[in-house]
Amino acid sequence: MNRIDALIELDNVRKSFGDVPVLKGISMFVQKGEAVCIIGPSGSGKSTILRCINGLIPVDKGFVRVGAHRVHEMKSERQMRALRHQVAMVFQQYNLFPHRTALENIMMAPIQVLGHDRAEVEERARKLLKKVRLSEKADSYPGQLSGGQQQRVAIARALAMQPDVILFDEVTAALDPETVKDVLFAIRELVEEGLTCILVTHEMKFARDVSQRVCFTDHGLIVESAPPAELFDNPRDPRTREFLGQVL
Amino acid sequence: MFGLDYSWLADPAYQQWLLTGVINTLKLATLSSSVAILIGMLGAFGLTLRIFWLDALIELFVEVFRNTPPLLQMLFAYFTLSSLGLRVTDPSTGLSVPLLSAFACAAISLSLFGGALAIEAFRSGIETMPRSIIDAARSLGYGRWARFWRIEAPIATRICLPALTNILTNLFKTTSQASVITVPELMYYAGQIYNDTFRTLEVMILVLLIYVVLVSILTFAMARLEAFMAFPGYGRGH
Repeated sequence: MNRIDALIELDNVRKSFGDVPVLKGISMFVQKGEAVCIIGPSGSGKSTILRCINGLIPVDKGFVRVGAHRVHEMKSERQMRALRHQVAMVFQQYNLFPHRTALENIMMAPIQVLGHDRAEVEERARKLLKKVRLSEKADSYPGQLSGGQQQRVAIARALAMQPDVILFDEVTAALDPETVKDVLFAIRELVEEGLTCILVTHEMKFARDVSQRVCFTDHGLIVESAPPAELFDNPRDPRTREFLGQVL
Repeated sequence: MFGLDYSWLADPAYQQWLLTGVINTLKLATLSSSVAILIGMLGAFGLTLRIFWLDALIELFVEVFRNTPPLLQMLFAYFTLSSLGLRVTDPSTGLSVPLLSAFACAAISLSLFGGALAIEAFRSGIETMPRSIIDAARSLGYGRWARFWRIEAPIATRICLPALTNILTNLFKTTSQASVITVPELMYYAGQIYNDTFRTLEVMILVLLIYVVLVSILTFAMARLEAFMAFPGYGRGH
């Protein structure tokens, strides 16, 4: 793959928390419009990779680029504003702001951070709520919504930033099984529309169906990276085989 | 009744003293509560910046004002600030008076005392907030300042309202100590009245009732505010 054309580029990224090395040299490229799933055991560094891509966690060593932004060189939140506009993130715990309604949660950042026009943002927000099939919940507060509904509002909130990339961090891990499919449906639509997505997930079936490429991480390294059919059916690395043997 | 004599209460002069006392108590409580809340928010914001020297400075402020008696702080403020030599000429009387009146000294010292407690309350609210909420705000591009005022402060305020109610009621009651530095508030006039009438018990019972009523209004208002601001779907917001 041509790394210069890639929208996202990580090269030999290293990160330790205290004495514990979490990323031990991660290199990966993601093309525009590609959906990449990251799978692997807990503590293998999956979520940390996402957080290094949008600058939530500074890397110790290595190179991180998203579009024109050289993330590893950014020091302040101010420098990162344009990056945050381009890269949105959806979290395991939804993280909606509990003091604002669903609609307000979606509208806040475009107005307060990007300075977009309120009326235009409201129209955008209502369209997005419709897209995640929650139009009737516009005025509900997060505490009044189910987990699956909150997560779909969180996806709409990420989309309202009009990002080029969305990072999904185990977004179905905290949901009960019935609501998982609504959230996955919403994500699948985005992937089909050609939005670049990186998903950390434990939903192996979903990863196989939706992604163009799957990366398997173990102990802070990407052990294997291949199209889903190849990685799931013919894993080359013994560690991948062992992991898949446990979860499938 | 019970041998209590309230005939002095018919005297318009005493009525006027009580009224003035109540008004000054309310003024002092309102002013110092407002400034204390502001200090609390700014201090808590300062602590979120995680700047070494600023942390140390705020911690020192909190320790000094939280760990010493408010009466001592008030006396200290009164005797240091008023002896700084800052004087102005009162245009109505033509007399040279201290720039900082006893009332100003009391307001300053109560604001700092309440502020120190409020910093701790707001800090607890901010620290209770899930770390992931802050990650969400950061990932949406919020800078430190906007993140604090738009997200952290509104959430933390709701979390720490019960603690804040405690602080404000305590601060309200502590205003009575301003009588010691001659601030003409309720307690001060109470003293004046029983020195005049020797009806100590009667005056104290009346003043006690006035404080009960005033502080109850405050706690009632705070309870309403708490209910109004509760997160819908959580706790009282159900």
